Formats: sequence, C-alpha cells, structure tokens
Amino acid sequence: MVFNSLHFVWFFLVVYALYRLLPVLCAVERAHRGQNWLLLIGSYYFYAAWDYRFLALLAASTLVDYSCGLVLGRLTDQRRRRWVMGLSIGFNLAMLGFFKYFNFFADNLHALFAAIGWQMDFVTLRVLLPIGISFYTFVTMSYVIDVYRREIEPTRNLVDFAVFVAYFPHLVAGPILRATALLPQIQRPRGISHAQMREGLWLIAWGFFQKIFVADNLAPIASRVFAPDAHLTGINVLLGTYAFAFQIYGDFAGYSNIARGTSKLMGIELVENFRFPYLVLTPQAFWRHWHISLSTWLRDYLYKPLGGSRGSAWQTRRNLLITMLLGGLWHGAAWTFVLWGLYHGLLLILYRPFESAFAALDRKGRFGAWLVMFHLTCFGWLIFRAPSFARLRDMTQGLFAEFRPSTVDVTGILIPLLLYTTPLLAVHAMEARADDVLIVPRLRLGVRYAVYVATLYLILLFGNFGGSDFIYFQF
Amino acid sequence: MRRTLLLLAMAAAQFAAFETALRLWGHSEASPAFQTLFTPDPVLGYRLRPNSRTRFVTAEFDTEIAINAQGVRDDADIGPKPANERRIVIIGDSLVLSVQVNQQQTFCTLLERSLNRGPLELARARGGVYYRVINAGVQGYGPVEELLFFRQVARAFQPDLVIHAIFVGNDAEEAVTSEPRLHRTDPGAAGPPVQEVWQSAPNDLRRLARRSMVLQVARLRLLGVTDRLPSFGARPEPPLQSYAAHPAPRIDAGLRISRDCVQALAADAAATGARTMVMLMPARFQVDDADYGRLKDVVKGAGGELVRDAATARFDEALRPLALPQFDALPSLRAALPGPDVFFQQTVHLTPRGHEIVARALEAFLRGQGL
Repeated sequence: MVFNSLHFVWFFLVVYALYRLLPVLCAVERAHRGQNWLLLIGSYYFYAAWDYRFLALLAASTLVDYSCGLVLGRLTDQRRRRWVMGLSIGFNLAMLGFFKYFNFFADNLHALFAAIGWQMDFVTLRVLLPIGISFYTFVTMSYVIDVYRREIEPTRNLVDFAVFVAYFPHLVAGPILRATALLPQIQRPRGISHAQMREGLWLIAWGFFQKIFVADNLAPIASRVFAPDAHLTGINVLLGTYAFAFQIYGDFAGYSNIARGTSKLMGIELVENFRFPYLVLTPQAFWRHWHISLSTWLRDYLYKPLGGSRGSAWQTRRNLLITMLLGGLWHGAAWTFVLWGLYHGLLLILYRPFESAFAALDRKGRFGAWLVMFHLTCFGWLIFRAPSFARLRDMTQGLFAEFRPSTVDVTGILIPLLLYTTPLLAVHAMEARADDVLIVPRLRLGVRYAVYVATLYLILLFGNFGGSDFIYFQF
Repeated sequence: MRRTLLLLAMAAAQFAAFETALRLWGHSEASPAFQTLFTPDPVLGYRLRPNSRTRFVTAEFDTEIAINAQGVRDDADIGPKPANERRIVIIGDSLVLSVQVNQQQTFCTLLERSLNRGPLELARARGGVYYRVINAGVQGYGPVEELLFFRQVARAFQPDLVIHAIFVGNDAEEAVTSEPRLHRTDPGAAGPPVQEVWQSAPNDLRRLARRSMVLQVARLRLLGVTDRLPSFGARPEPPLQSYAAHPAPRIDAGLRISRDCVQALAADAAATGARTMVMLMPARFQVDDADYGRLKDVVKGAGGELVRDAATARFDEALRPLALPQFDALPSLRAALPGPDVFFQQTVHLTPRGHEIVARALEAFLRGQGL
C-alpha cells in the first residue's frame, strides 16, 4: 500500500479514527496499550498489503533483535555481549545479503569466473526483494548496537518493540529511526497538540505536493532522457539530470514528509530526513541535509567504529571511502550505485583540505560554491540513474562534447522543469531563510493561508494522479 | 469567522489567478483554444469547426492544427474531384485526426506521399493519376458518429475508397453509448440542438462549472478518484471490458452496432461508387509490454482478466462476415519494437514514428489489394 493510493486513505482513516477514539473510551494506560496494539496490527496489515509472505521476515527480525536486546541487557561479560551483538548483526546482514544482494553477487561471480575462462554453472535463485528490508534491518541493528553500547535500556515489552520496528509511517522507506528517539514515545501515553495537528497536516499536504506535483510530473522527462536508446545533446542531458535530481528529491522527501505528518497526527515525532539539500555549498553539508537518517546511521554505526576521523589523514580517507561505498551499495545491488557511493566518497575526501576556506567565503564565493556543489550533486545523480555504464559514458560524453545550447528542448524539457520546480524552490527559499523546514505553518496567517491554498490548487490542477510507487521502495 | 473569510478570499483570489493562467497558457484539450476546434452539431453532437486553427502544446508535442472549410483536418479545401484524382477518405476518431503530430506527420499525409511518390502538389503538376488522402477523423467519435459523419460530410468528398478506422480499445463501448443517435438523424426529430439544450439548462452553477477550466479540471480529477472508490454492494466492473476474458454483455451489443455501422457506411459508399475497407487500430498496451504489465495488474486487482489482443480478435470476428478488406495495424507496430516509442507516453496516440510505420504498412496492404 503506497501513501498516494486510495487504499492508504481508507486504511489511515480507519486506524486514525480508532486511535483517537481509544482515549475517549478508556482510561489513559488502557488506551495507550490499545493504541500500541492498534499500531502493531495496522502496521502489519500495511506491510501485508504488498506481500503477506514477507511478514515472516519482519516478525523474525523483530523477535531475534528483541531477544538479543534482552540477553544483552542481562549479560555483563563483554566478550559474550560482543558475541550476542555479532549474532544479531550477522542475522540481519545475512537476511539483507540474501534477499537484496544474492543475485548481484552470484551474477558477478559468474561473470568473473567466465572472464578467466571457467564456466561455472552454479544455481542462481531469482530472489524477490522484500519491500523496506534495507530500512527495517538498519532500524533493528541500531537498537541492538545501542543496547550493546549501553546507550539505551532494552525494552521488555514485545509489543512496544514490534511497534518500534514495524511502525507503518517509517516501515518501508524510512526515516531510519533510532530506538533512543522512537521507543520512549511508544512506551509512554501520547497526547496530540494543536501545533502537532497543524504541522502534521501541512507536512502531509507538502509531501503529496512534492510527490504528485514535483516528482511524478518530472518522472516522464527523466525517463525520456535516461532511456537506453535516447540520443540527446548535452544541454538536454543536463536538463534531464536536473529533472531527475528534483524527481528523486520530491519523491523521497515527499515520502518522508507524509510519514512525519501522519506520525505527528498520532502524537509521535519522527526525525527530519531532508533539509533543502540542493541549497548547500559543500559535500559534507550535502550529507547533513540529504537522507539525514541514513547518513547519521552510517556515521554512527560504520564510519565512527571504523575509526572516523581520529586516525591519520589516510585512515580518515579510507574510512570515508568505505562508508560511502557501502552507503552506495545500500541503495541497490548494482555497480552504478557502488560508483555513486565512490564518487561521493571522493568528493568528501577532496573537500576536506578546503574545509576552512569554505567557511571564509564571501557572498559571491558562496554563490559560486553553491553552483559547483549543485552540479556535482547532479553529476552524482547521472551516475545513480544511468541504466548502464555504457549509457553513463554516452551521456557524459554528450554533456561535455555535444553541449549545443541551441538544441534545448524548450517545450518538452525546459518549460515543464521550470514549472514543476519553481513553487518548490520558492518554499525552500522561505525555509532556508528561516533555517526551519516547518516555517510555513508558523508564517503570518495571510501568507500561511496563501501557501496552503496554492499548494492544494497546484496538486489538484497539475498533480500527476497516476499513483506511481516511491523510488526508495526499491532500496 | 475572520479566519474563514480570509481563507475563502484567498481561495477566490487564487481561483481567479489559476483560471486566467489556464485560459492563457493551459494548452490542454480542455483549454478554450483547443475547444475552439469544435462546434455543436444537432446530429453528431459536435464536429470540427470549419476554418478553425489552433496550436496544441503539451510536454510531449507542439502542433499546429488547421481545419478546412469542409470541417476536416487539412490546410487546403476539398473541391470537386478532378478526373485524374483518386480520393481515399479515412474515417475514424482521434487516432486518425492525430492532433499530437503535425499534419505532414500523420499517416494519412504520409500515405498520400508514398502513393504519389512525393508531395501532392508535385503529383498534380506531373499530370496523370494521383491520390489524395483525406483525414476525416474526429476526436471522440465512435462507429455511430463516423457513419453519420460520412453521410453528413465525407460523402460529398466523392471518395474512391473509404477506409473506416476502428479503434478496438473503445469503439464497442462508444457504439453502445451513441446508438440512440442512429435513430434521430433527422434534425427535426433530433430534439433541441445542443446549443439550445445548453442555453436552457436550468442550473446556472453547472453552466458556470462547465465554463471554468479550474472547475473542469477539478471535476475530472474528482471523477478519476470516485471511479476508483470501491462501491458498496455491487462489485465494481473491471476496466477495459473490450479486452476482458469474460466481457460485459454490452460489448457484444457494441460489436453488433459497430458491424451494422460499418456495413451501412460501406453500402452508402458503394452507392457513390466507392469501395470500403476496414482498418483496426490497437491500443497502446497491445504494443507496449510495460503498459500491458501495468494494466494487467490493474484489471486483475479489480477481479478481471485482461486478454491482450481480445478486442482486436473480437472486432476481426465481428466484421469478417461483411467480407470487406481488413487491415490490422497491430503486427507492423509490434514488429517495430524494440526501438523508439511508437506511442506517446502521456496519451494513447501514435508518435511520428508510429505514423510512419502505419503509413508504410497500410500502403503495402493497399497495393496488395490492387489499389
């Protein structure tokens, strides 16, 4: 079930009505327990709407990490504790590796053997990718690691833990939540403030705007430009890459905002996942503003355990590269994702010596840095979206060798790109100036209403109601 | 109260702004600029407005559309037929009209050029027998309107050959809906003309809604949503009934009406000395695998079963007893893949490449038929 479907609207209306009714009908503690059961049943139904067979995986992941958490809470011997954490991580990575990367590794191994003349006819399984597996395995792993590090106490309540893992707003495409942020909110009775309602409704409307108006309208342009047999000049490749940059942003940030908004309506706060990432000046800032929950996860559970920036300059570079390579691979089992991770790793390494110079930039310098960073990010999206290395090479070649501005496709690419990104950028400008992604619900009444009404009109009149899936579901 | 008034004022002001913007720049089929191509007609409901012209721009195409004095898509008028001119009139719906491409790119014009081995003007100048292919397609027509349009307009073009293009995707359904028109071809018996009905409509609000582009778009959106709402009680009918493994009874009725219309058109054409042939046009998903996969799931989700070429087979079977030459555009379009798209992505109409393929295949078919 996707957020932009009628199925979800019905589902949410029923769950939300019951959720709000429980505190009216029962005493506080009873209502709280009832709400958690409701969220658990609702979340499992939400997941089963895709494929009920994968519920077993979700339940297994929940039970294994719940049990590991309990055992870690009891054990004092550090060696044994490390074993239990290793067991949990091993289980999660094995599950992720089998379902997400089995075919990738098998195919590549086959190709490698073939390249050295060995024809290995081993069996390859056509394994289906369970939706959201990359997200919930990271959620449960972070819980066990946090318990191991004694940053949180393990929860004894299985229902609370199962809600933490399966909570439907974040289940299939994040944000990747930490137990420290979400579990306490599940464990205690929740109230819903007027501000939460207002912000929640705005986030939902804005999320739908980003998905239906921006992402789904730019998708046909990006598909056309990135089609395997397209032959376009550099200027059109560039504009198509811009279109994809805003498509993937609108798609993913839109999902995150709808998730945050629906969760706010239930009195549960989810972490911010995007903070106008295309307005930043440096590669480091990009990763602090793009998919924040993943980049902080990678920082805390991979980069820092590898040594972070504590060692020599070379060790720091190595750690950055490993983190970004694995971050790229997390997005999908394809070499283009690995290359995309490598590219961002290199950007981070190359940026580090100039870190202080960026801080001293004047207004013009900042504009130049933004322009360069935006295009570096877009080139990353070209790598990310290219259907093959051959196509990536052709598109890059076209970009630099056949730019020809006179061949720009004005009606097919340029005008739609401007139409679908200008309102988004206008709101971003407001948010960036206030350094607050929730500035709109806090604006003066007249301006706020103007933005609300314009957002709804734009969705209604120009939104693409085709109901396509969110891109990040495949990760 | 103050907040509600402010919200309403904001909504009204932005409504006016969007309405203005859509009227000025909204190049959609609902835009007034595009709607000027049509005029009410007491028998047909509507037809192309003679001597009209517009530019149609969307994200996928930018075309100039000119309607001649006779009310068909052509830059030039259609006068009396010279002795050495052979006329082919192609009757059909939007797949023939083809507002998504320029006139020179339509399969009608491409066919004309191939048959003449060059542009019409050159063929005329060369002397001898030459062909003129007339695009007599009208957006939204079905077999019933096409028969009536032939009688009312296209018969006067003195055709030597009439090609009746059937869109297998929806013509059976449209034939059922339009069947009552067959029984009121006499303008006197047709009830009040469309314009009068329009003017006598008692509901001012409805009239206002029909004239507002914002409200028209909103209405279409709402219909799109309510169509997808589960209806309580009766199970909703799966879409694409013409392709259903077990179609609704109206599809059989539609096929019968379509056959009767084609037969009547062929008889009328024969009375003027013209031959008739049938051309079957497929839906996009019959050619596009990804589209087929998506629609198959949609139909399956609604409890039905989509059979990819069922509608083509049904029309083929229904029309074969008429013993008219029958050309199916599907095999040639399919054979063109993989390659650039033959259908646009945001409409179900042919791209310039799709038109080229159809024109080539149709020419081969006509030559095979001893044109």
